[in-house]
Amino acid sequence: MLRYTGNRLQQSVVLLFLASVVCFTLVVSSPGNVAVLIAELRGMIGSPGYVEQIEQEIGLNKPLLIRYADWLGNVIQGDFGISYRTGHDVNADIMNRITVTGMLVAGGAVVATVASLVLGFIGAFWPGGITDRAVRGFALVGASTPTFFVGALVIFMFAVILNLVPAVGFNGLKSWILPWITVAVLPAAVLSRVVRVGLEEAMASPYVLTAKSKGLSRFRIMFRDALPNITPIYINALGTQIGLMTAAAIIVEPLFAWQGMGDYFLNGVRFRDFMVVQACLLLFLTFFIVVNLVVDLTVMATDPRIRRQRSGA
Amino acid sequence: MQHDATLKVDNLTVDLLTSKTAVRPVDGVSYSVRKGECLAIVGESGSGKTVMNFAPLGLMPAGVSTELSGSVKFNGRELIGLEDGELRHIRGKSIGFIFQDPMSALNPVRRIGRQIAEMAELHLGLSPSAAEARALELIKLVGIPDPEARLRQYPHELSGGLRQRVVIAIALAGEPKLLIADEPTTALDVTVQAQILRLLKDLRKRLDMAMILITHDMGVVASSADDIVVMYAARAVERGPVEEVLTQPRHPYTRALINAIPKSSDTVGTRFRGLSGMPPILGAPNPGCAFAPRCDLAVAECRHTRPLMSQATHSTVRFACPIANTESEIHGTGTCS
Ligand SMILES: Nc1ncnc2c1ncn2[C@@H]1O[C@H](COP(=O)(O)OP(=O)(O)O)[C@@H](O)[C@H]1O
Ligand SMILES: [Mg+2]
Repeated sequence: MLRYTGNRLQQSVVLLFLASVVCFTLVVSSPGNVAVLIAELRGMIGSPGYVEQIEQEIGLNKPLLIRYADWLGNVIQGDFGISYRTGHDVNADIMNRITVTGMLVAGGAVVATVASLVLGFIGAFWPGGITDRAVRGFALVGASTPTFFVGALVIFMFAVILNLVPAVGFNGLKSWILPWITVAVLPAAVLSRVVRVGLEEAMASPYVLTAKSKGLSRFRIMFRDALPNITPIYINALGTQIGLMTAAAIIVEPLFAWQGMGDYFLNGVRFRDFMVVQACLLLFLTFFIVVNLVVDLTVMATDPRIRRQRSGA
Repeated sequence: MQHDATLKVDNLTVDLLTSKTAVRPVDGVSYSVRKGECLAIVGESGSGKTVMNFAPLGLMPAGVSTELSGSVKFNGRELIGLEDGELRHIRGKSIGFIFQDPMSALNPVRRIGRQIAEMAELHLGLSPSAAEARALELIKLVGIPDPEARLRQYPHELSGGLRQRVVIAIALAGEPKLLIADEPTTALDVTVQAQILRLLKDLRKRLDMAMILITHDMGVVASSADDIVVMYAARAVERGPVEEVLTQPRHPYTRALINAIPKSSDTVGTRFRGLSGMPPILGAPNPGCAFAPRCDLAVAECRHTRPLMSQATHSTVRFACPIANTESEIHGTGTCS
């Protein structure tokens, strides 16, 4: 078990390194001379020699490898540099914004988990019933519905028509509900299908026949015998969905006027603020890698068969 | 004698309908088993042994719909026509089940102790801690070494033989009156088979249960069972006390089965005396005797008229072959008991 954890950690470090290379290359190779952009932003585009001065200032004239090493060295020390556009410390910006996105994704994940377990279970318990068909239909339609549309729809329904909650803003539980629903709707549909299909499969296994022969009720068999057996596939799928929810933040945050990482990234891209873009991309990829690591370790910890194999006992 | 039978099956017919197929794996079979006794059910794979025992108790896999007719009485109570909710209270509590493959019969992600203890909670109304204590007793009863440690383990940490002992412990946890064991040793190593069979025999005597033992092994039948039912293609072809049926088989199929057992008197290199021909495919309705195509005694009549079970003269054995009956016993036709 320890050896597996160690291997998996090593892998993650390699992935993180690759992610940093990708981030750096993407940003460096994106079109447009950053020095010109900065000069433009500062209103100094006309003054002769200014662009060269900026190039000097941010080290654009150094060899790429050196620039990468400089950047990585700073990043590892937790220094993402200064936004060229606003002159703000990127770290400080991120500190302010990461809790907003964290709140969005964490809340969305909780909503999606609870909803998918309940709906998937009901669907498996009454196959062909109304919940089962509704969720199946929704998962089909939902897969091709943009999150933006979902967001607009829930705002329209709950904030405009029913006037239950505020449409935009970030203050208190009431204002969090709509964004949570918006990010959670599609993951919930996908995950409830995972639960529904997984349970149906598990209910056909021989150990379920044993459980039946014990005289246990179908509900109890599904809950205590079948459900624990789908934990690994569920956690895997949940990890993927959490990753996707983080990506959806780019759409959902502006929709609700939330100033989170998604919004930050979007602004960074729009204004070619490449320190910001680099920082956001790297954090996003890091989050992905960490989620995957956590998923794998959790799966190992919850499945006694794997736990034993991987520990080589 | 009628009412003291723990399980009494009369003219049981089972039809299985899936989305693609309709088969009748059990066709008009009767038998019974009494307290403290063991009934062996033998027959080739696919002859309907599992379905016959599991379907009336609602233990068919998902996706199959089951139609039952005839009568299955457990301690005098008719099971056919009961709702699954009522059958559920009989399963586990009054009838314990042992499955063919212990490797897949246990839940891989739950501890052994819980899988046994939940039976005691459900059927004996014990508290979780009392049920754990009961699980420990049971696991000792079925002869598992290092019982405390085993309770905390998961199924994959145990060998096949130990897992089958766990399955037996589960089956016993509700203190059943009848134990149905479906080929309990087929999936196990030869060396372990004898241990498991000895354990089952011993437990049946100690707990004074009735037992139905489904098996291929005539040696097992001879050493463990009191009565035997021989199945061929969904029908019973012969049934009676073991010592009589084994020493004096009457139905041509039973004879062939017993003749196929290797004998110690065989010289090395003796050809294996298997049955020639193939078992029939269920589903194709057969108006006559299903064994006729492989039978030495078959006459034209056998292909058209279904042979009924009738009693052999001077014996309680019943078998379904009028040809063999008249051939061996010129004196009497079978009379009803
Ligand atoms: N789950 C099932 N779905 C459809 N048909 C089945 C199923 N189980 C058994 N059968 C049918 O019943 C017949 C008898 O099966 P079974 O009782 O398992 O035989 P045995 O236990 O004697 O080997 C099989 O040949 C098959 O045609
Ligand atoms: Mg079978």
